[in-house]
Amino acid sequence: MAFEIPKISYSGKVREVVLGTGDKAITVGGEAVYPFYLFEGEMPRLPRIAMEVWDMQPDGWPEAALEPFAGVTDDPVAWAKKCIDDYGAEMIALQLISTDPNGLNRPAEEAAAIVKKVADAIDVPLIVWGTANHDEDTEVFRIVAEQCQGKQLTIGPVEEADHKRIGAAAIGYKHTVGASTPIDINLAKQLNILLGNLGVSDEQIMMDPTVSGIGYGIEYCYSVMERIRMAALTQQDEKLQFPIICNLAKEVWKTKEAGLPTEEDPKLGDVKKRGILLEAMSATVLLLAGGDVLVMRHPEAIRLVKEIIAELSAEQ
Amino acid sequence: MILIAESINIMSRSIGPALRNRDPKPIQDLAKSQVEAGADYLDLNIGPARKAGDELMAWVVNTVQEVTDAPLSLDTTNPVAMEAGLKVCKGKALINSISPARFEEELPLVKKYNAEMIGLLWGLEGMPRDAAERGVIVAELMYAANEMGISNEEIWIDPIASPVSVEINQVKACVEFMSMLNDIAPGAKSTVGLSNISNGTPDHLRPWLNRTYMVMLMRHGLHSAIVDIFDSELVAIAHGERPQIVDLVDRVMDGERPDLSSLSEEEVKYVKTVRVLTGESLYSDSWLEV
Repeated sequence: MAFEIPKISYSGKVREVVLGTGDKAITVGGEAVYPFYLFEGEMPRLPRIAMEVWDMQPDGWPEAALEPFAGVTDDPVAWAKKCIDDYGAEMIALQLISTDPNGLNRPAEEAAAIVKKVADAIDVPLIVWGTANHDEDTEVFRIVAEQCQGKQLTIGPVEEADHKRIGAAAIGYKHTVGASTPIDINLAKQLNILLGNLGVSDEQIMMDPTVSGIGYGIEYCYSVMERIRMAALTQQDEKLQFPIICNLAKEVWKTKEAGLPTEEDPKLGDVKKRGILLEAMSATVLLLAGGDVLVMRHPEAIRLVKEIIAELSAEQ
Repeated sequence: MILIAESINIMSRSIGPALRNRDPKPIQDLAKSQVEAGADYLDLNIGPARKAGDELMAWVVNTVQEVTDAPLSLDTTNPVAMEAGLKVCKGKALINSISPARFEEELPLVKKYNAEMIGLLWGLEGMPRDAAERGVIVAELMYAANEMGISNEEIWIDPIASPVSVEINQVKACVEFMSMLNDIAPGAKSTVGLSNISNGTPDHLRPWLNRTYMVMLMRHGLHSAIVDIFDSELVAIAHGERPQIVDLVDRVMDGERPDLSSLSEEEVKYVKTVRVLTGESLYSDSWLEV
């Protein structure tokens, strides 16, 4: 008898979500198989990478992460343009670090004005990510949603505690929400249900399961994402059939290992390569777990990950 | 089914202070109302009771015995407190509970005080990971107890129900294990801390999980359960007064997919809850609405 390779029987499909508008709009999702299981079915939209831009001068970034953006890190618009023009970014993820009440505590109106400037200056899809401070995020997104009407932004993190207020803004001005939960599949499902009850359409939701980098519990993130995909694809769990966004750059580059000078621990290897590889490897792990949008920082790490995506999806 | 009422518990906001202040009234009132609600046993949970646990357990046993003859389940992890309670307990007491870590100190108490015991399947390495590991602990437990002259019939095995919102595989493993128990330990009884299944779930929804899980375990011969006795529907089910619900749960467990539109609102809730507890559908706090 001929050997037959066992096949998983899939019964569900991840929904497609359109990010941005116009020629540069990007559709993500649509998978009907586990990540890159192209021998079992279709993955019509490959994972995409959004390049990270901060809304303020970064503090504490390792030299390797700053170098590619020398001269633009004090200007989010120039920074975003550099990502697109010099590094071919298909999407920008603007991190509203300045709104952190324990940091710069920039007023919502000012933060929203920066978002508007960046949104107007670029034509690729824009993701805007707050600090998970519910009052602050709600206030910023209330203004951003209105001022950027028609741009189909992705706004997040939207958590259970602020989902009504931010969700309402997303519905009113047609933006996508990044539904964020703390590494827990039951809570992820619950938030999607609540957003649905509120009236956020299925085409306006991406899930943020909360991720970390290598060495900081990424196995746990992997496991939760894997279970989300199993429920979505093999158990027809409609409330989990959404694309997954992984906001990983911040997590990777803030670790001690990403920035520890080479001479302080030579066996960890060259600091520049190390940071890039930590980011690329973390991204790869999350790709294999089901990430659809990866928020990344270093152009070289991005190049590596794009190569991996190309190889994993190449025709045999 | 034997129902053990859970509400006299040191963790309770009203009973905790009464226990600590040795205030008999709230405890006696609760004891009486639990018996009226259908309790066969009253669980007296004083927790780890590290300080003066012996004095507290003896006091609460006496306090409760003043108002009711219902048999008592003495619930503490402190062996000295356990023995103090057993000394003053008039009826045949149930020791809640003995697990492998406490064999040496507590198994002798079963014989000495002519009591019965709950055998908690919490192994030396903690929570068993699946049905098979539960089986290993039962085998260990039965062997050690039989050696001490305790018969299978005096042992109530607790396979440990864990919250549905934490780990569905444990929820399934507990049911699977119940289907094996009679083969592994013929004649042994069983019980389960039922409310744990709904720990972390919004309060008003907990009864659906508790009731449904009880029916799922009853199917495999569950002898008793430690329950919220004030859930009158749950008591009715345990007393065999809701055969149509039991039948419905059994059918859904067997894979039947009843047409939801043909069912009552209540029946739909049971169907959805079975599907969550069997792992067919992933739990979320809104499971009854989707």
